[in-house]
Amino acid sequence: MTLTVLLLLVAGGIAGIAVLLHMLGMSKPHIFEDEAEVKSVWLAEYPDTLVRDVLLSENRHFALISSSAGKGIVWPMGADGAARLLLGVEITDMPYGLELSLPDYTAPEIRLKLDPGEAKAWRRQIQEAP
Amino acid sequence: MSNPSYPDVVQWAVPFFIIAILIELVWILIKGRGGRYETRDALTSLIMGAGNVATGIALGFVGLGFFMLLWALTPLDLGTGWWVVLLCFVLDDLRYYWVHRFGHRIRWVWASHVNHHSSQHYNLTTALRQTWTGTFTMMMVLRAPLILLGFHPAMVLFCGGLNLIYQFWIHTEAIGKMPRWFESVMNTPSHHRVHHGRNPRYLDANYAGVLIIWDKMFGTFVPELDTEKPQYGLVKNLGTFNPIRVAFHEWVGIFRDILRPGLSLRQRVLYAVAPPGWSHDQSRDTSEQIKRKHLAQNPQDRDTPGFEGL
Repeated sequence: MTLTVLLLLVAGGIAGIAVLLHMLGMSKPHIFEDEAEVKSVWLAEYPDTLVRDVLLSENRHFALISSSAGKGIVWPMGADGAARLLLGVEITDMPYGLELSLPDYTAPEIRLKLDPGEAKAWRRQIQEAP
Repeated sequence: MSNPSYPDVVQWAVPFFIIAILIELVWILIKGRGGRYETRDALTSLIMGAGNVATGIALGFVGLGFFMLLWALTPLDLGTGWWVVLLCFVLDDLRYYWVHRFGHRIRWVWASHVNHHSSQHYNLTTALRQTWTGTFTMMMVLRAPLILLGFHPAMVLFCGGLNLIYQFWIHTEAIGKMPRWFESVMNTPSHHRVHHGRNPRYLDANYAGVLIIWDKMFGTFVPELDTEKPQYGLVKNLGTFNPIRVAFHEWVGIFRDILRPGLSLRQRVLYAVAPPGWSHDQSRDTSEQIKRKHLAQNPQDRDTPGFEGL
């Protein structure tokens, strides 16, 4: 197989599958069912912590966690969830809500799509002492 | 000495990979079960696969040069008979078992392999989520005995390619269990789902490529239990789909740890070569520690598959 044919196959295959999945509606970010689901995502990442409180966003895409290890966030990773403690977080106001920047190579930016009022309240809560 | 020529089977399998992914997707859509797909996850996996082919083309000369050097040194030449190819395939599968086991037990090698486990999905695109940094692990040395024994480097690479192609179809939830005789000898979707599980029970199990007998021989086999569905992904999942971060995150982690102030030389070395999760201050958990913590909370699991001997 020539390199040109291989390149065309690979590029065409990747683009075709991605477009197909998107058109089939498989790009929608995960919506968390309830606080219990959020808690299970959190505890899967931080099993040694205790969850004190879960604040689910109105769109149920994000959750603010109060844990024994400090404040944390749960957000959709595609059709699943991810969780991080908010140690060293920097918060930026954005038109869509808030952007959280973390000193974490595996989760450097988390974009929280929140209503303006909700964004303001979340910013305040994140900045509060744990 | 003969100089055989074999096709690059992985490149020739690319159209098959694409067709099989589409068939699996259609199957899931029709049946409403048998796996999940998500656009960015699949796209990341496919880009990792393309990058693996690209780095193979760009850096393949390193391994090939090493193998040809060994071939020039060895006085042995087993020829190209079908039985030699078969024997080479089986021995290369044994070689794969150990490379894969090292890939989970030595952080330096895990840094390369981790990206294959970084998806929370388990479908045929996950099979293609392959490393870009395999050359840096130096695991090519484990192929040296084969070449020194008289298997031509081209044959060894051909067998390695067939091994990888075999492993493609086992990355699926669309197939439950194969016939019992097949499950007992061959690596299957069921066995490999266990390998991709992040459940404490399933950590560090089923390293096989083609033949599951190696895991049974070396004590790393864990069956998939009907009572415990594998949860896929990493113990600490990634929060990004960025392929660069997926490819290099563990390398970045290693170098950050090695360069931390106040560590002894031994501690710095251990951050590179100890099992993933090792830390000088016990602030992280290795898979063994994760299993022990699980048993402390779930003593009823003691001496069940995945927890024996702990």
